Amino acid sequence: MRKVAILNASLRERVGTGSARAARRQGFVPAIIYGEKKNPIAVQVLRKELDKILNKPGFFSRLICLKVGAEDYRVLLRDLQRHPVSDLPWNIDFLRVSATAVLTVAVPIEFINKNISPGIKSGGVLNITRHSIEVCCQAENIPDKLTVDLGNVKLGDSIHISLISLPNNVKHTINDPYFSIATIVPPILLTDINVEDLQEENKKS
Amino acid sequence: MLFPKRTKFRKAHKGRIHGLSKSGTLLNFGAYGLKAITPERVTARQIESARRAITRHIRRTGRLWIRIFPDIPVSSKPAEVRMGKGKGSPEFWVCRIKPGRIMFELDGVSKDLAKEAFCLASMKLPVDTRFVVRLSE
Repeated sequence: MRKVAILNASLRERVGTGSARAARRQGFVPAIIYGEKKNPIAVQVLRKELDKILNKPGFFSRLICLKVGAEDYRVLLRDLQRHPVSDLPWNIDFLRVSATAVLTVAVPIEFINKNISPGIKSGGVLNITRHSIEVCCQAENIPDKLTVDLGNVKLGDSIHISLISLPNNVKHTINDPYFSIATIVPPILLTDINVEDLQEENKKS
Repeated sequence: MLFPKRTKFRKAHKGRIHGLSKSGTLLNFGAYGLKAITPERVTARQIESARRAITRHIRRTGRLWIRIFPDIPVSSKPAEVRMGKGKGSPEFWVCRIKPGRIMFELDGVSKDLAKEAFCLASMKLPVDTRFVVRLSE
């Protein structure tokens, strides 16, 4: 289990489009805290502070201690909206979590031993179909990442979810052991490119 | 070049491009992407030209995804023909691109190589573009 990240936030007195836009103009990101059958709280987070968390991998599975005034909330980043063009964080949803709460969280997958994989050595490309996998566990037991060893994977092989070993007290939400998370596929071949065009290029050169 | 196999109508209205892209704004397949930041109509020839520029630069490595499809027919009248007498015949296919749209995605190559390939591709396109990288979730 990793350390709990600390993030400062301030209360938003007004909610709605106008106040959210005003907060963004001042360098904040509007956010909301909900969950545990309590009333939602509208807050705002400084964008510079938030970027420090968002620039590290696994931000959806990291517990955050959100400090709002004198109160502290243990939260999980549940949803993140970004601006379509600038990709700046636009709105955030935080979920309150207690220590005993059982959650479904998306945990990032790390692929190791790419360099020694026979499939990739022979020119194959790792085609990742799932960059993260949903697991069911208590908030305290959320793993940092799940690792997949590519040491023995050949060209054309499919990597199934059953290859991932989970820590104790953590369960897959996907029950199918043959659920594919990645494949080693052949790269773009030169057959895609017109042979005539290549010949023309060669003549020119 | 890309074009639909079958269409319901032969000719379409010209249309306008308003607002920002609602879907297709995040990387779904690869680690790197080319994002449009201005609105424009992109033709099938331009998409094909950009695809060739990318595949030739990355050579035998990597994997490319094209996230846009030209499904709007554009008609034009022949040269030296007077106005009137109906709409011209369909000449080429285009795709209306709104700002924020991911047009190409690439994986299995280094960041520098992907950046160079997308730089070459963006020169073939009528839109301003930005290179985007997947943030690990």
